[in-house]
Amino acid sequence: MTASGPRVVSAALGAPSLVAALWLASSAPLPLGVEARAAANGAIRGRVELLRAPAPAGRRPTVASLGTPPARERPDRSRSVVYLETAPRGAFEQQEPGRARMDQRNETFMPHVLAITTGTTVEFPNSDRIYHNVFSLSKVARFDLGRYAVGRSKSIRFDRPGIVRVFCDIHSHMNAFILVFSHPFFAVTDAEGRYRIDNVPPGTYNVIAWHEGVAAGPRMATVADGVAAELDLAAP
Amino acid sequence: MRILTRRGPALVTLVAAWALGASQPAWAQGLPSEPIVVGGGWLTIGGDVSATFSCAETAAEGACAGDAGFFNYTDYEHSALRMLRVDVSAAVRATDRISVLGEVRSENGGRPQPYALFVRVKPWAGRDFDVQAGRVPPTFGAFARRTYAADNLLIGYPLAYQYLTSLRADSLPASADELLRMRGRGWLSSFSVGNTTPANGLPLVSAFRWDTGVQLHAANDRLDGAMSITTGTLSNPLVGDDNAGRQLAGRLVVRAGAGLLIGLSGARGPFLARAATRTAGLEAESGEDTQTAWGADVEYSRDYYLVRVEAIVSDWRLPAVAAPAIERPLRARSASIEGRYKIRPGLYAAARLDHLGFSEITGSARRDTWDAPVTRVEVGGGYSLQRNLVMKLSFQHNTRAGGRLTRLDFGAAQLVFWF
Repeated sequence: MTASGPRVVSAALGAPSLVAALWLASSAPLPLGVEARAAANGAIRGRVELLRAPAPAGRRPTVASLGTPPARERPDRSRSVVYLETAPRGAFEQQEPGRARMDQRNETFMPHVLAITTGTTVEFPNSDRIYHNVFSLSKVARFDLGRYAVGRSKSIRFDRPGIVRVFCDIHSHMNAFILVFSHPFFAVTDAEGRYRIDNVPPGTYNVIAWHEGVAAGPRMATVADGVAAELDLAAP
Repeated sequence: MRILTRRGPALVTLVAAWALGASQPAWAQGLPSEPIVVGGGWLTIGGDVSATFSCAETAAEGACAGDAGFFNYTDYEHSALRMLRVDVSAAVRATDRISVLGEVRSENGGRPQPYALFVRVKPWAGRDFDVQAGRVPPTFGAFARRTYAADNLLIGYPLAYQYLTSLRADSLPASADELLRMRGRGWLSSFSVGNTTPANGLPLVSAFRWDTGVQLHAANDRLDGAMSITTGTLSNPLVGDDNAGRQLAGRLVVRAGAGLLIGLSGARGPFLARAATRTAGLEAESGEDTQTAWGADVEYSRDYYLVRVEAIVSDWRLPAVAAPAIERPLRARSASIEGRYKIRPGLYAAARLDHLGFSEITGSARRDTWDAPVTRVEVGGGYSLQRNLVMKLSFQHNTRAGGRLTRLDFGAAQLVFWF
């Protein structure tokens, strides 16, 4: 998507439901503080504190199984995604279509949270010795990749922004999130909850922290020329 | 069942509205989407709720009749096609190697009944070997552990796991003539030896009760095997013993290739209650009161296809009481093939072809199969309103070579929610 004139994106990712929210491009004034002049981009960085410990991912009680199901890796549910609620000018300039990867290993999607821009193709390799069947019924990307075995990979391109919940049709405990943004101003937190959004033009922005389907904020951050603004956030 | 019957048209209307393209209902978005985990994984609670309604096509009983032919009854009172079923299961992890698993089930608003309750012990952490003791999942067959509505491709059940033959565990026919008189009357059969009160008969393998005993399970990358010793039998699982006998059952599954599973099962045990065999003058441990069954099953899946085939042969031995004597064993053979194809995300079509046949016996006046053979075709499909909320529709055609009704067709709808 190419920007012509002042445009912003309104990110409505705050809904706590699993239904993906859309980023709607519309004509609107520049975000507060964004001026039409050449300036060195800065960054927004900080840490996301989880107010509650992430609930462990449970497997349905295997009452009908003849024995203990195979051990699996616990998905890392501590990661959050931090993003700008309104994107600055240039957010929609044509970008090279990206590629990303969400592995299926030990009956777990890895990573558990993936954040990408629109146009990105995500590979779903099967690294287990058993079948998997990736699918999503999300409005922004409804797909079913069918059953495929170890060593094979299937992919899908995400062209619409929003939240995509990904599941395995065979293993009901496997689930993951893919957040599809129409701009590049987002970051996934690291194991300590730290994040950094780079190349942010100077200005004042509303910043949102999203964690496991729930968005918190927004909090305001001001980026000065070539400077990284510090902003700590809390996720519910 | 009565409640559901009265509310049936409303349920059908509701289901039809969804079928016409309504997307996720708002209330459904507030339902749990994952099992409830308490205490950092110490306790996990899951659930499976299904509401099923069906209408039979009969000239005599008008529109939307019930199952007058008792093709889908699981006992004298309950039809699998008119059922509100609520399952709540729980797993308590006592230690890394010991868990307690249980499940309670309520049908048509009735008092919750314990369906499963057993302890699972994993003696060696590094080995895929388990011991389960209590009211354990069925060892025999492929479908027996897939009876949850969320795991069943269609709404009805395979005949071998649901259809009631005329045989009973607490009474037995004195002669071949008496058994032939009960052909096609498995929902309410009665014999002169043992308990003479009319009651429902037995399926080949009961999918609606679990047996009590000890089960061993071991697996590796290619093989998966289980053995069990239990109080009841395939057709008559029990909690309390009624004949001092034990059933031995085993199952072996070979992972023959990507998506290909081949299973073999066997079971043998005394199925007649001691009170009935004593009336018949049978000595204990005579071997004339056993059910012996063999099963073979194959599953193949790839991309958007899934195909399952299962065959079961069950032999029952009854003591001879009077002439004309019943030829032994009484054999039942079942074969079913079912398949599913995913048409698009969240939407699939499925079908099952199923036949149940019986061996012949000779009565005073005729030679005939000891029960009436049944053939069933069911076609339908499912649509996921959300990942764990599925609506199914199916059409079922039944034919039977004997009994009160020899043909009955159903249209059925089912709403399934699980977490």
